[in-house]
Amino acid sequence: MRSHAGDPPTRRRFLALSAGGAVAGATALSGCALQVSTGVSGSGQTVTVMVKPGEITPDDVKQARKDLGIKIILVKYDITKLIAMMTTGSPPDLVRGAGAVDAPYFAARDLMEDLDPYFARSTVLRPADLDPVNDLWRYDGRTQGKGPRYGMAKDFSQDSMYWYNTSLFDKAGVDYPPETEPVTYEEWLENAKRLTRRRNGQTTVFGGSYNGLMKSSLLASLTAAAGGSLFTDDYSRVDFTTPEARKALGWYIEYCRTKVGPSPIQPDPNAWDGPTYQASRMAMSNSGYWLGGMIGTDRKLAKVSRLAPAPVFGQGPRISPCQSGTGLWMPKKARHKDAAWRVFEWFFGEAPARARASGGWGIPTLKSLRPLMPAQQEYQKRTLQVQDAELRHFSVISFTPYATADALDALFNQVAPAAMTGGISVDTLAGRLNSAMNEQLERGKEQVG
Amino acid sequence: MTTEQITSVAERPDPTASVAPARAANRPRVSMTARRHRAFYMFTSPWIIGFLLLTIAPMAYALWLSLTTFDGLSPNWRFVGLDNYRELLSDPVTWDALGRAGLFAVTSVPLSILAGLALAVLVNRPLRARGLFRTLLYLPAVVPPVGAGLAFKQLFDQNSGAANGVLNLFGIDALGWLADPYARYVLLMTVLWTAGNIMIISLAGLQDVPRELHEAARVDGASAWRTFRSITVPLLSPVLLFQTVTGVIASVQTIMPLLLAPDGTTAGVTLVPQSNYLYMMHVFAQYFAIGRYGYASALLWVLFVLILVVTGLIFRFTSGAVFYNVDPEAKK
Repeated sequence: MRSHAGDPPTRRRFLALSAGGAVAGATALSGCALQVSTGVSGSGQTVTVMVKPGEITPDDVKQARKDLGIKIILVKYDITKLIAMMTTGSPPDLVRGAGAVDAPYFAARDLMEDLDPYFARSTVLRPADLDPVNDLWRYDGRTQGKGPRYGMAKDFSQDSMYWYNTSLFDKAGVDYPPETEPVTYEEWLENAKRLTRRRNGQTTVFGGSYNGLMKSSLLASLTAAAGGSLFTDDYSRVDFTTPEARKALGWYIEYCRTKVGPSPIQPDPNAWDGPTYQASRMAMSNSGYWLGGMIGTDRKLAKVSRLAPAPVFGQGPRISPCQSGTGLWMPKKARHKDAAWRVFEWFFGEAPARARASGGWGIPTLKSLRPLMPAQQEYQKRTLQVQDAELRHFSVISFTPYATADALDALFNQVAPAAMTGGISVDTLAGRLNSAMNEQLERGKEQVG
Repeated sequence: MTTEQITSVAERPDPTASVAPARAANRPRVSMTARRHRAFYMFTSPWIIGFLLLTIAPMAYALWLSLTTFDGLSPNWRFVGLDNYRELLSDPVTWDALGRAGLFAVTSVPLSILAGLALAVLVNRPLRARGLFRTLLYLPAVVPPVGAGLAFKQLFDQNSGAANGVLNLFGIDALGWLADPYARYVLLMTVLWTAGNIMIISLAGLQDVPRELHEAARVDGASAWRTFRSITVPLLSPVLLFQTVTGVIASVQTIMPLLLAPDGTTAGVTLVPQSNYLYMMHVFAQYFAIGRYGYASALLWVLFVLILVVTGLIFRFTSGAVFYNVDPEAKK
């Protein structure tokens, strides 16, 4: 039946028109998505930076506009949003990431821009001035720490170190750990048990917290400290049944089982150690130098706080890795690479970098900024002394390119609580972790190709 | 305006005809019915376009994803047909999560409907400050779930929460409320806490019950319970059916366990205590923590079909028990 202009639309025609409208709308929305970052080359460009709140402040944005003539649009970091922006072909110009775990993953998928040519030309970020921690952002297609640079850390800590509260040690009658010599992990746990205070089923003082930054990087670090490697040589599998990985896993499960600190089966409602440590309800906190930024704001707390070296396992090597190396990278399909690099240089080598270095929230990633680290107060001098000694033991622990740390952490969280509550043995857990994680790594390997 | 008047207006000569007689002669005649249809479609088209764009298109996209190994970033994802569906059928974690979601629905929905109905009956009585009570009881329902989750986490924290403070006052040792085996009770409490939503709808239903029926029952000597059971409940049955259907859908889709979880990171979803690891937690974990977009989309499609089936079954099995107070004249 032919339709006439004046006839009401049939249902079928109406739905067809609506579908057409929907497609047109979708195209329009997609077009909008492609316009996230706009502008022309050189000064006056607009650069989109995806970071977590506070990593670049609105004041920094104003300063960048003034100093560089570049407008920065901040987008809140969200992996789902990042994926959406990448798949629509409009990625941010700079993205935050944890070099220790993100660099191999994104580089293996050819999503990151090789920044070596930019570094070679830069007068602000000279390769000779880069701290070795920036090697976390290098990946040669097989090994982390070698090959092109894909990003840079904004600051760092050696995340196996820990802070302790001397007044809680005094109250419990426990000797302080040595200033620059490490205790063993077994001694650390023994101290934590002696420092823990409980009343009426409640823990009034946690003896110690030891959870690392991410479970997978913590377990990789612990295994390395035991003298082994969590991953096989080609990073395509994990093996928790090697003596070293088994030792590391067993220690962490024992830590959780004894409930001397927050863990998956005894969560801290604050989700980080800061408030509990500040309230003198935690005797030891597994946090690196960065926690000094918070401690420094509380004079009373600073007086009783000490930084201690990363523990060791009896026969293992002395290592003190960085488990994060949080910084920025540039997506390969970024629209404004030159302007983004200028923001990169400014963020890592100019005013914001100097402000971070003197703030005490991390060790600067340029050697030339080290003198800016806070060292006026007595506690700052003491902390710096311990930190300087610890830097000699810095090491890079390579992570797999075949899975995100989040995915491996999620699988660990799914399987491990049963062992923490005594439901299964550590050996059974090791087998289950191998099975769950290797399945995920296998999928990742297939997809990387 | 009557139909005749409308027709006469429609047939009135066009005043512009003298200005452009040729154009007017060529213009097709539009009947009132056609105009009404056109108006109907013009008014509904924003919703229909939105529905196609924001519901049908994402669902179709999810259906396509469910047939692939897509993970968002990797270059070599591929079409795997029904493999993801086969895998979920043999995945014990999926079945356990689905079972827990079903158990949660059959406990939380009746409990919250009963609580909401009881509150509605209470505030329907001639009480002093009745308006204030209604407001206070409804207030929790307007608190955003994120805020509610945070408040419950602080309240039930083992070491610093007020709940254990109360237990300690009575010489009872603190409990790990947010861990197994107690976490499920805290989750139920979050549902009951928002029973004000159901109270408001039930209250509207109660106020719609004809007063003369209650008076007649009282004259006949019926007790309050008998009146409630034989008059109020049958007349409220459409409201109760509505609450059951929407309650079941909402309960299987709840993400409250995540808001009560100890770890706010993406991977933290798997730290939800096992008793609260419901189906949507599994979906969330597969999407955002493990990055298996294809598998997670298959999980969502299965849930969608299950919800359709369960809703159909509820309608089928309650069709004889729901009393619709329809005016027979209105049908004519």
